[in-house]
Amino acid sequence: MKTTLIDSPVANVANIARALRTAGAEVEVTSDPAVIARAEKLVLPGVGSFIAAMQWLTENGIDDAIHDAVKRGASLLGVCVGHQLLFDVSHEMGSTRGLGLIRGEVHKFDGILPVPQIGWNRVAAKGSLFDGVEDGVFYFVNSYAAVNAPDETARADYGGPFTAAVQHDRVFGVQFHPEKSSAAGLHVLRNFIAWT
Amino acid sequence: MDVIPSLDLLGGNVVRLLRGDFANVTTYGDPETVLDSLDVPRGSRLHIVDLEASRSGHPVETNIVRRLATRGLRIQTGGGIRSLDDARTWIDAGAEKVVIGTVAADAPEVLRTIVNDLGAERVIAAIDVRDGIVRVGGWEHDATSSLAEVLVRVEELGIREALITDISKDGAMRGPSFALYRSLRTNLRITASGGVSAISDVVSLGRIANVGGCVIGRALLDGRIRLAEARARVATTNAIPERVIPCLDVRDGRVVKGVNFVDIRDAGDPVECAMRYEAEGADELVILDISATDANRTTALDTVRRVSESLFIPLTVGGGVRTIEDFRALLRAGADRVAINTAALRNPQLIADCAREFGVQAVVLSCDAKRTGDHFEAMVRSGKESSGVDAVEWCRRAEELGTGEILLTSVDRDGTNSGYDIELLRAVTSVVKIGVIASGGAGSVEHFRDAIEAGGARAVLAASLFHDRRLSIGDVKQFLASEGIPVR
Repeated sequence: MKTTLIDSPVANVANIARALRTAGAEVEVTSDPAVIARAEKLVLPGVGSFIAAMQWLTENGIDDAIHDAVKRGASLLGVCVGHQLLFDVSHEMGSTRGLGLIRGEVHKFDGILPVPQIGWNRVAAKGSLFDGVEDGVFYFVNSYAAVNAPDETARADYGGPFTAAVQHDRVFGVQFHPEKSSAAGLHVLRNFIAWT
Repeated sequence: MDVIPSLDLLGGNVVRLLRGDFANVTTYGDPETVLDSLDVPRGSRLHIVDLEASRSGHPVETNIVRRLATRGLRIQTGGGIRSLDDARTWIDAGAEKVVIGTVAADAPEVLRTIVNDLGAERVIAAIDVRDGIVRVGGWEHDATSSLAEVLVRVEELGIREALITDISKDGAMRGPSFALYRSLRTNLRITASGGVSAISDVVSLGRIANVGGCVIGRALLDGRIRLAEARARVATTNAIPERVIPCLDVRDGRVVKGVNFVDIRDAGDPVECAMRYEAEGADELVILDISATDANRTTALDTVRRVSESLFIPLTVGGGVRTIEDFRALLRAGADRVAINTAALRNPQLIADCAREFGVQAVVLSCDAKRTGDHFEAMVRSGKESSGVDAVEWCRRAEELGTGEILLTSVDRDGTNSGYDIELLRAVTSVVKIGVIASGGAGSVEHFRDAIEAGGARAVLAASLFHDRRLSIGDVKQFLASEGIPVR
């Protein structure tokens, strides 16, 4: 099955494409809403600002295309800011609505520890995405995170617990960068590719 | 790991004595005002030392303890407790536990009476050590028992907690005696005291078996450590691994090596090296481009592109970055982070500009520091020329400007294999919140441990040591793990 990687100017698409291919996926990179709407397996990457990323999705009709694909039965993996975009709301400089595919809200870290978090962190995980890496260490770069999300499948601690991954039916999200998390990251991508 | 604020009382005030000297007193004011300023939450443990009592042998500051106990603090009080009556006086004043020193070292029968009457859970044995010898009586006389003997005696009485203070470190702000605590063989829960002067000290103590807490005095009072931040760091101590980072010095598309840039010789293909390092467990890779000319920068970009395409760990690239466009070009070529050195010293605004353009996470300050008299100077041009800027102050400023991490190289130690410069590391890690990567001087697995444990580094970097296979990344990680330092 083909994996459709959403090409956006607010993401480091090349690295994720390479990681997906290494994990065994046949990768198609596109920003065409028509192609995205028909996809069976979608990956939504993102770095930087939630607001800019969400704006790009709506301006290009990609938000609707993602919703259509998920309704039709596609599985979806959000990565980093792509993971945050799945939630109802992010509180990055005011409040911005997300895709609303995952319940919960994204907040800034409280600042007791340095923000952004830059580095490896151990997660306690469950669920099919983490089969074989339930106690994995992954690479994070984030200033914001969901906390105690109802659909949480992985939790990490950075001056307090935060949601490191979520799953609701066919929709998955990982706050970390699987493409920078060496073998553990590739393992998660393989699990997503194999998931049906 | 309990992080326990400690207040020394003298004449109703919070004070500090330098190395136990009553003639060398710093006064911080009345205890309640001090506690408010330190943000000590209800339910927190609080360590109180009655200094006058430790000298005279009779409890003095009982009224203060009575007042503080009403703030919901779990107080442990010490200082000159030499009898059951003294101990009871403190418990009656509201202390949860008594901290007993002199008696524990010299007169076990008195200690036994106190334990039998109050219960072992109310007693903490305090042991003051200087140069491995137990000290008593306000630190002015040597005790008659060895540390090992005292620990055994304390344990036999049923006591479960001992407070061990290295007097030579106390109040001197140079870090605690990690080696002392690591050498202890005991079932007692050890609370460490003396020399804790940076948050990393708290974290490092928490990693030593037996150490269940530490008391912090002067560093809290002086604002060097914030209690909430220390507790947050300790809570994540075991979840956030410390990183081991190999470095490739690259010139004209090849890995090269040479001490102090002299006698440079070819040492391999960067892609092969990078892949080998990731397989060995490298947490990140640093490429330093030491190309001499602009023409060769194009080759450097190509090297970065080829290496990044073969890696699934973060890649940091530095060397010759002068402008925001150089920075952008390296990110486009596949670097996750870019290190800036000389150009930032000449134009500090470059750090802020790059942070705004690419995010703080992409910016690494590379600081080459050289010991000059009693301070460190930031060097430019590959460590050859002084900038005249104080290295520690420069790192602090770079954090404000927006660097995500600091790659701190000791020019003095680079290529010597004699160990990282711990003093330099401590000087920087104790004044910045962001991570510091230690560089320059690694020669043995212990050096890596010391950079993290005593130096407070969040990552350790080495080039030729790994390149020549004198140590593998696996060797280093295995040793760090055996010393209680979490690794991936």
